[in-house]
Amino acid sequence: MLMGQLLAISIDNWAIPAWLAFTAWGMGSLLVLLLVVNRVPVMYNILNMVVRWRNTLLSALAFTMVIGLLTVMQSFVNGMYKLTESSGQPGNLMILAEGAVDEAFSSLAMADSSDIANQPGILRVGKTPLVSRETYLLAAQSVPKADGTTKRRFLQLRGLTDPELAGTVHGMKLAAGEWFTEAGIRPDPDNPDAAPLIEIVLGAGIAGEMGRDRAQSGGESQAGFAVGDRFELNDRVWYVTGILERTGSAFDSEIWGKQSIIGPMFGKTSYTTLVAKTADEKTALRLKEFFNKDYGKAQLSAEIESEYYKKLSQTNEQFLVAIIVVACIMAVGGSFGVMNTMYAAVSQRIKDIGVLQLMGFKRRHILVSFVLESLLLAIFGGLLGCAIGLFADGWTANSVVSSGQGGGKSVVLELSVTGATLLSGLMLAMVMGLIGGFLPSISALRLRALEALR
Amino acid sequence: MNTIALTFRLLWLVLDNTFRNPLRTILTALGTVALVLVVTLVYTVLNNLDRITQEKSSNLKLIATEKWQIPSQMPYRYVAGLSQGAAREPGDVKPEDYMSWGFFAGSTDSDASSRDFNSFLFAFVMEPEKILTMMDELDELSPTSQEYKELKAAVDRLQDNKRGIIVGLERLAKLNRKVGDRITLYSRNYKDINLELEIVGTFPAGRYDGSTVFRRDYLNAALDQYKQEKGTSHPLADKSLNLMWLRVPTREAFNQVATQITNSPEFSSPAVKVETASSGIGSFLDGYRDLLWGAKWLLAPACMATLALVISNSISISVRERQTEFAVMKVLGFQPFQILLLVIGEALLIGLTSGFFSATATYLVINEGMGGLPFKIGFLPTFDVPASAIFWGTVMGGGTALLGSILPAWSARTVKVSEVFSRVA
Repeated sequence: MLMGQLLAISIDNWAIPAWLAFTAWGMGSLLVLLLVVNRVPVMYNILNMVVRWRNTLLSALAFTMVIGLLTVMQSFVNGMYKLTESSGQPGNLMILAEGAVDEAFSSLAMADSSDIANQPGILRVGKTPLVSRETYLLAAQSVPKADGTTKRRFLQLRGLTDPELAGTVHGMKLAAGEWFTEAGIRPDPDNPDAAPLIEIVLGAGIAGEMGRDRAQSGGESQAGFAVGDRFELNDRVWYVTGILERTGSAFDSEIWGKQSIIGPMFGKTSYTTLVAKTADEKTALRLKEFFNKDYGKAQLSAEIESEYYKKLSQTNEQFLVAIIVVACIMAVGGSFGVMNTMYAAVSQRIKDIGVLQLMGFKRRHILVSFVLESLLLAIFGGLLGCAIGLFADGWTANSVVSSGQGGGKSVVLELSVTGATLLSGLMLAMVMGLIGGFLPSISALRLRALEALR
Repeated sequence: MNTIALTFRLLWLVLDNTFRNPLRTILTALGTVALVLVVTLVYTVLNNLDRITQEKSSNLKLIATEKWQIPSQMPYRYVAGLSQGAAREPGDVKPEDYMSWGFFAGSTDSDASSRDFNSFLFAFVMEPEKILTMMDELDELSPTSQEYKELKAAVDRLQDNKRGIIVGLERLAKLNRKVGDRITLYSRNYKDINLELEIVGTFPAGRYDGSTVFRRDYLNAALDQYKQEKGTSHPLADKSLNLMWLRVPTREAFNQVATQITNSPEFSSPAVKVETASSGIGSFLDGYRDLLWGAKWLLAPACMATLALVISNSISISVRERQTEFAVMKVLGFQPFQILLLVIGEALLIGLTSGFFSATATYLVINEGMGGLPFKIGFLPTFDVPASAIFWGTVMGGGTALLGSILPAWSARTVKVSEVFSRVA
């Protein structure tokens, strides 16, 4: 099963950043060097670890806890980065009103949209330019809780003029059901006198979240929302016509519906966003410059879509810093534990050290032997921690991504354990082992053979 | 008498044994200090979040916002009715105080392409006198304190100067400006509205370091001027009220005012909802639900488990080294439970002492040295380490020491005298 988990990590996710590759190279080289320099058989260390199996296990478990936890925490941040980095399509240009730093604050005149869409450089399907006209807004939904009270949930709604075209532009496909109709509403077959149902398509993430809340409020189903399900918002009943495929992007957390229905319902009569598909990044960049500097009919703020979503990673960076701080403190705490074990190992084997010296092993050989033992302990515990942390891969969690300048998006993300996560965990374990083992090994070095045997 | 003497004897032994191997004791204590530090930080965040999401029973702040949409954008005309709690009939309840909020984001840099975070400015637009009576924490300043006097002077200057602005210390430093300087604020959300402002004062150090406030009537005048110049209203002219805060004395008054506002036809387009500040923050924090769950149920327990392992390891090493000593103690008449207590006592002494030290040091460094733990999520303030963290940090250190020492202590208790002496022989 573990091997299956490991193999499930795609090749892309084994990409290692330069600093980590350098650290791994350094630690690997050190390990190889120690093994080459070492003259005391490694089996001696392994047997000693087996004999003192309780201490070995306790120390290794401390490593396991620290590294396992850090792997889970880092996989959360990876999930956030993956989300912000995968939300933009290559060659897509996002056009907002000038000054708007977030879609939610943008307002584009509808009359300008046709002229913008017909600019050269934007791809077409037949005669239709690949430009998705959208109204993005955040709505507050009242969700009943099991105790009879209600809580508020923030829903991200994206009103679209053409859902299929929007799917093409954003690289989103339906996993189940169908797109909402041209009208965007349908009569309620159960209650023909009631207001028509508002048709929407749910992202996979938000469908799961809404299902979870439904189960918590005493609903019968534990599963996510599916085609045909309904919910209430803004005093209207909303009907799910389709579920989008999970892509790991911010769109997984959105609800798509007809712009002409959703926009006015929440007081937004204009578009917030136009997303134009171009042939490549170069064309998108050229168009961006044109809209920002030379376009005269409206004041616009154009940005490469992938860059826009990357800017939402400020929250990720805050979490990453917090994780690094926690990791450092925990590593320091764990290192003291290892130091204890290794000091005990040295003090329990004073006679061994004397015998080794009499057998002709140099002091440096004994030092290397103890450092190696500490590293072996760290690698064993670290690998176990990585293996446990690996199970977090694929878990889903909610969070918020933001650029830190107002706005932000509530998202459902997928935790992602990458090769870099595992390697950094293992490296941290080795650093802890090295720090924890070095001082005790020095104390072993200072022993004199005859004194040790006395 | 014998029991008391024996207890003292045991306590002395605990103390003596703890310092027998100072290196091991120090290493274990340092491990405990580090891990209790993490748990104390987690406790600080969770405790403060609990506190600010706890519903008050008196002196409540009621928040009125647009019902369905975020960000809330209401017409400024709502202020007149909302400030009275939509009271129309005799017997209706009126709020004790109110404050309107508008949000104005801009930059001091006229060139849009070179704007950065240092020139960015996010201002609260409000009635200046409400700074002292309605803003969280500032409304609790003692009128005799120096902080209050300085803030009051700044507010007075703001009331005298329509173009005045109060800027938090951190933001002032980032802008590289000082009190008395004039700035032009080029808006990002109020398109084509640029404001000439004069910095008239700062906020007390702490929560409002990054905040700025300028006058509501100045923004209103700018919007009027826009209409005169362009011949049409600004797109946000009728959406410039973002929040409204009302102070009510009791929960009953809150319910009454909430009902009055919800049922008032005056606030139907757009519809308005009311909630307490704690409820609003609770909804905001729902976005971080899983993260907070992880901190509470993964991070803190993992730290404690690691700590228990570190202590357990240290104590078990110590027990194994002292097998002969325990055998001798048994020969001298010590009961197995006394040996058990001795070992647990040693662990507890280290755990409790280092837990107390770690939590107290965290309390002092963060509260006195750093001015609070910066929890940079949304609008949340810096968090002080609660005094209760010292108690719980100590308990945490002691509890994990107890947990980690039970098995080694049991093994010390069951030392067989004959076996130990036969090995020695």
